[in-house]
Amino acid sequence: MKSSRASLSSILQPVFSLRRPAFCSAAPPKPQTPLHLRPPAFRAALSDLQRWQAWAKTQASSVGSTFSALDGGPDSSLLLRELNWLVEDAVEHPALLSTENKVTAEVAIRAQLEEMYELWRQRIEERRPFQYVVGCEHWRDLILSVEEGVLIPRPETETIVDLVDHAVKADEELREGLWADLGTGSGALGIAVARILGGGGRVLAVDLSPVAAAVARYNVERYCLEARVSVRVGSWFDPLKDVEGELNGVVSNPPYIPSKNIHSLQAEVSRHEPILALDGGADGMDDLIHLCHGAASMLKPRGFFAFETNGEIQSKLVLDYIQNEMEGSFCRLEIVSDFAGIQRFVTGYKA
Amino acid sequence: MWSLIQKRVCRKIQLHSSIIRSCLLNSVSEHQFYYSSSPACNHTAPRSAIGAKKFNGLFSSFDAKWRGSSFMRFLSSQAAAEASTSDGLTVGGIIANNWVIYDENESDWKSHAAAIAQSIHLIKKRLRWKKLISKLEVLSKELDKPDLWDGPSHAGKISREHGSVVGKMKEVNAFEQELFEHIDMIKLAREENDAELESESLNALLVLRRHLKEKELEALLAGEHDLCPCFIEVQAGAGGTESMDWASMVMQMYKRWAENRHFRVSAVEEIPGELAGIKRATIKVDGDYAYGYAKAEVGAHRLVRISPFDSNKRRHTSFASVAVIPILGDDFSHVQINESDLRIERYRSGGPGGQHANTTDSAVRITHIPTGVTASSQNERSQHQNKASAMAVLQSRLDQLEIVRQAQINAEHTQSLTDINFGSQIRSYVLHPYRMVKDHRTEYEVSDPDSVLQGDVDGFILSFLSASLDKDIEDD
Ligand SMILES: C[S@@+](CC[C@H](N)C(=O)[O-])C[C@H]1O[C@@H](n2cnc3c(N)ncnc32)[C@H](O)[C@@H]1O
Repeated sequence: MKSSRASLSSILQPVFSLRRPAFCSAAPPKPQTPLHLRPPAFRAALSDLQRWQAWAKTQASSVGSTFSALDGGPDSSLLLRELNWLVEDAVEHPALLSTENKVTAEVAIRAQLEEMYELWRQRIEERRPFQYVVGCEHWRDLILSVEEGVLIPRPETETIVDLVDHAVKADEELREGLWADLGTGSGALGIAVARILGGGGRVLAVDLSPVAAAVARYNVERYCLEARVSVRVGSWFDPLKDVEGELNGVVSNPPYIPSKNIHSLQAEVSRHEPILALDGGADGMDDLIHLCHGAASMLKPRGFFAFETNGEIQSKLVLDYIQNEMEGSFCRLEIVSDFAGIQRFVTGYKA
Repeated sequence: MWSLIQKRVCRKIQLHSSIIRSCLLNSVSEHQFYYSSSPACNHTAPRSAIGAKKFNGLFSSFDAKWRGSSFMRFLSSQAAAEASTSDGLTVGGIIANNWVIYDENESDWKSHAAAIAQSIHLIKKRLRWKKLISKLEVLSKELDKPDLWDGPSHAGKISREHGSVVGKMKEVNAFEQELFEHIDMIKLAREENDAELESESLNALLVLRRHLKEKELEALLAGEHDLCPCFIEVQAGAGGTESMDWASMVMQMYKRWAENRHFRVSAVEEIPGELAGIKRATIKVDGDYAYGYAKAEVGAHRLVRISPFDSNKRRHTSFASVAVIPILGDDFSHVQINESDLRIERYRSGGPGGQHANTTDSAVRITHIPTGVTASSQNERSQHQNKASAMAVLQSRLDQLEIVRQAQINAEHTQSLTDINFGSQIRSYVLHPYRMVKDHRTEYEVSDPDSVLQGDVDGFILSFLSASLDKDIEDD
């Protein structure tokens, strides 16, 4: 099942994403440096940069609510806020931009002015996600590097970290030992969970995509967690055979969108994010079911799991599946809602 | 240069000895002490210490030594003691003399002295001097308790508070001492016909006079939470786009005002109007005395103008209400918030979310269920951070409610905080048919609305603070 899913995804991939072909070369891909971490090596006249900003504002304003009406995309006010953040990331002293006078002044920027035009054009015309434009996503208290080929972590997923926090506070024994983040993408969950666990915990972060694995490693290094988070490449529990039955906890935000829905997603998602990270098979449940079985054999007794799902229907399906098809494997099962009130997560403990 | 310094040193010595002489000649009587204990305090320092104290006014280094050796702590008796010149002139005495206060340029020492005495009087009033003295006594007693440091955080708080009260009192006392030093010098210079010394001392008086004028303003901000940063929140009144536009003008005015004061300004939330302006917006203003100043702006602000949104060019009146919430520091015991009392929601969400959507919008609204108080944040780049920022607003709101509740229980008149009533109209901005901004509380007015809307609100703030504070204290 799982291997067929992986190969299906890689076949579909080029159609939907700009991602470089994976699985071919041995050399690991080199992650891109997010804009805010690049040196402010370029200079532009303040007035030129202000002209760029004015142009970018006009572009953003002209969008109005067309994107949001079309596919739930961003409206002007959101784009204008993103523009401020782009300035924040690209300009060494962003406050300079709002000063009126000093026509002759120069500002230091982290990308050439032409690139700034190109970046904003991509944002508006190609609907390239803002996070790929600036190369990072602010998620919880982290700033994670992201690029094409790696799913941009969603705000909903932040809650999984709180769930882990509650679990380890309720049972401090869970804190010391091994955890796994399956389908780690940018490394978001793995890194945040490691920080929650503290010095005694270790996280194995797994992803099938070498690009994701490389970006995850980069982020792990940025937070100096090499000693506590190891990134392994492979399909779900395959690279974890050596720790079977030893895990204190498993978290995952696996692909869960039903295949038929992929085309109708918001353009930022369907055109730019990796299909491998999104497509959960016919009813979106393939990977979730696989993970439930894996968790049952990989977790220690009283070990904790938290999975993200597509919403109310999937949460119930997962719960039913565990209760009926895997009777006795888990206990204290729960469905937890996200901040939009959507039943989003399934949690429980190994019996 | 050298000779001049030597001359001054000589004089100091002469003066020194002349005072000793006068002390020796006269028998020890109350009014001759540079400090005389206030009747309110019955602490009496040992006689020998009093003897040494006489010179404090003139030679502050003696003062430090004396205090360093015998009394480590600044006592309330010292604070309450009244300084005087060598011949017993006190601040109260100067004021009672009713000397005419001329313009600064008039070289008249009595005029300067009278102006300085008035400033000192006002500053003491604003600091609530008597209350400060009793507070110092209470704090000193606390500090003397042997078990104080059993509770280090409490002890830290007490000693910080003590330090701050002492700091304020010492500063004012130093001004008094300085005043009398200069007066003594002038008298001496006259006795000795030393024109140079006289003009030097006169000049020193003038400098002091100006300095104290500034201090008067600072003393306006002696409220318990004045030093804190704060949130400023502007909400559009009824009246659709016109009042939403007005609300955004008001917000803009405060952003400019805060920037001019070199406060750090950051946006917390902004709910834009459909066509223009804002329904509501909150900014955080960070910098010394942000709350102390901004609290003067609480209330409804009224605009009268020809609305640019009215195709018939009619005159409209609209309102925006301003709330100011202090962000209390760590030494304040904050209201405890139980996680289970909170409802946290994603703001402006819709659709299936999760992997379906990619949005940089992670605005969050938190409701404190027992009180119904809400707070939201949308300007941070992650949901976690929006949540933290909304929590900070919520905490401050609940703290403020608690302060008001406490004040009501104690029937205290804490004008600034009980006035969180958004409703009362405090100021009108008229752009048509004439141009004027007028504060209804103080009658302070300005004929140039543009400058005010550009952030020039200090005149309004200071006049309100002094009017309300000085009125407030009459009954003390
Ligand atoms: C929805 S993304 C989640 C990424 C990240 N955990 C997050 O929440 O931002 C799913 C991730 O699972 C990975 N994935 C897909 N199939 C996988 C498989 N068979 N084995 C391991 N990882 C897989 C994808 O590459 C992708 O990074």
